[in-house]
Amino acid sequence: MFADVYAAQGSSFETLLSVARDFSPRIERCSPDEVVLDLTGLTRLFGDAKTIADQLRRTAADRGLCVRIAIAGTRTAARLLARDRVGITIVETGDEARAVESLRLELLEIFADPQIDESPRAHTSNPEPRIPNPVTITLRRWGLRTLGDLAALPADDVATRLGQTGVAWQRLARGEDPAPLVPSVPEERFEQALDLEWPIDGLEPLSFVLARLMEPLSAHLERRDRGAAVLHIRLHLVTREVHERSLQLPAPMRDARTLRTLALLDLESHPPSAAIDRVVVAVDPTPGRVIQFSLLTRPLPSPEQLSTLMARLTALMGEGRCGSAITVDSWEPGAFEMTPFSLRDSRDVHGHGPQSLRDTENKNCLGDIAASGPRLAIRRFRFPIPARVRVDLGIPVRVTSDRRGISGGKVETYAGPWRTSGGWWVEDTKKYWERDEWDVTLSDGATYRVFRERDTDAWFIEGVVD
Amino acid sequence: MANHTLAQLETALRERKLDRTLTTALPAWERREDSAASATDIATLDACLRGGLPRGQLSEIVGPASSGRTTVVLQAIAASTRRGEIAALVDTFDRLDVASAAAAGIDLKRLLWVRGPSISLGTSVATSLGSASGGQDAAVNRALKAVNLVLQAGGFGCVVLDFADVPPVALRRIPFTTWLRVQRIIEGSDTACVLMAPHPLARSAGGLTLSLGGRVRWTGDANRSRHLTGADIGIRIVSPRRRFDGEVSVAVITNDSHYNEPRRAI
Repeated sequence: MFADVYAAQGSSFETLLSVARDFSPRIERCSPDEVVLDLTGLTRLFGDAKTIADQLRRTAADRGLCVRIAIAGTRTAARLLARDRVGITIVETGDEARAVESLRLELLEIFADPQIDESPRAHTSNPEPRIPNPVTITLRRWGLRTLGDLAALPADDVATRLGQTGVAWQRLARGEDPAPLVPSVPEERFEQALDLEWPIDGLEPLSFVLARLMEPLSAHLERRDRGAAVLHIRLHLVTREVHERSLQLPAPMRDARTLRTLALLDLESHPPSAAIDRVVVAVDPTPGRVIQFSLLTRPLPSPEQLSTLMARLTALMGEGRCGSAITVDSWEPGAFEMTPFSLRDSRDVHGHGPQSLRDTENKNCLGDIAASGPRLAIRRFRFPIPARVRVDLGIPVRVTSDRRGISGGKVETYAGPWRTSGGWWVEDTKKYWERDEWDVTLSDGATYRVFRERDTDAWFIEGVVD
Repeated sequence: MANHTLAQLETALRERKLDRTLTTALPAWERREDSAASATDIATLDACLRGGLPRGQLSEIVGPASSGRTTVVLQAIAASTRRGEIAALVDTFDRLDVASAAAAGIDLKRLLWVRGPSISLGTSVATSLGSASGGQDAAVNRALKAVNLVLQAGGFGCVVLDFADVPPVALRRIPFTTWLRVQRIIEGSDTACVLMAPHPLARSAGGLTLSLGGRVRWTGDANRSRHLTGADIGIRIVSPRRRFDGEVSVAVITNDSHYNEPRRAI
């Protein structure tokens, strides 16, 4: 048996849920103001259906809800009756078809479009007129007015004219359930906290505390087949401040050691200002990853390994010093941007769709580059090195620098100058350049790219051809 | 059932519990499998190396400035990323030119670039890392730690450590055991580790040393029409076990997008 509880518009759904959970652990959320309870086995606890309905209504009233309740052998019948009749309606098991036969045909639209009741306008006092369902329009053209009229039609003829939709609607009109009840699972909090007897100072003792908190958290996530999308660490300090850190994880993960390592590496970079007397670890859960390994492709590091590696490298080299480079649409010499290194695109080798097409185009482009042979590379000084250049008739004849490692010498061969300029339209003067570039081979055997800044007449070494 | 067994086998293989059970006693390099070498996609070099740089070994690419070291290294990384592998470049002094990397055919999304301090900052380096020589040592130590972390994480097809601009004094201060430790980490893995330096350092028994000497190529006799068209790189292969001794020459062209960008000769 099922009970449908339909609350008046504007009621709190949370309250409605709490009322329902007081009676049954198996409840299904149908719309923002309606839940269905599975009453199987509850008669031993509460008594017969009438008693259950009375208690439900009383409990709801105590919490400020005005509800309609219908109890029937099927969820469909219970929902239809609760929508149509005020107060309490009880139908004996097996009598569902008879009980709903006199109801309006339009009531079936709540099954056709569940979003109808979830739209905000459903709760307004003057709802806009709703567009009728095409099936309802058809059925009304046939002269049908009630659910009984539809239920009485020959099923084969309905299927011939309306297809499977018609058959489904006819089954609903008879009060039959299209699918079993899917219980709504209450939202769980994935959080662990520990009050410390003595404040701790430093990361080493904290690592033990974090390990103790992460393990049950990880087990909880595993039981629910969830992974952590965001890891929150809240450290309550003896100064009554709360040191809070949130780590956005690149992939859902639940390995306790990885989570602890990531938290510790982050806290190394952002340590708390005082001793800690309470530690709270919480995660925002997300569905777990499904990974298909293959014997035919080379294994890549798991997201857990990669996250740990990136966190360690960032702690070692500094923020923004590790990742993937991307070229930018600019003629500015040496322009590029950094992005976080991610395997998300790399794994999608057998994917379909636009990303896969872009990958294919990219591979073709890279293949063309490979076919054309090796390209000469340049080693670029991120900050060009000031140089002393002797010029004869506008041509550099000798290049030297104070910088160790660049011996400099007489210019053996040269090419240039090539004049470039840009960034003059940007207010930031650092982005502006106007210069003459030269490629020079010096007597030390190395080939350099040097340039003269036209506005300052200063010479710089930009890189080494290598 | 079969899928479950396969998954178990793969998991065990990942944890390297079956390495010695499923393979022969010979190391992969001795068996001359295609997968034991990481091709550089430079045909003449790969032919001479019988496939490419050995995986699970530390190899060196050495030579003076403008000898073509960076060109060969970028080619090796590009070949690795084209095969769908991921690669890492530990750039001790932040010298990678991204345009050159893209022109070499590197799939930049698959390249983990670990950037050291921009040492050409000169005085600022001394401020950030201590004194000038101390700053260089700190940068070298950081790069060594970074390459250790990358190798320990595993899964990279090609890992390059760029020591090309490290002064000889700083290089001499690196203990030789460092290279033994690196070799030990990658042993048995699929990673081809490459050290780029001005002269041989690691002298790995299983790896190779490619000693480079290059000469840039110019065209045009008149001063105004002359331009850089490429380089001829001579590569001498030194193998401690005398497997691949020999010399090859590789012709390299300039990066078109770089040298033919809309600049005007004046």
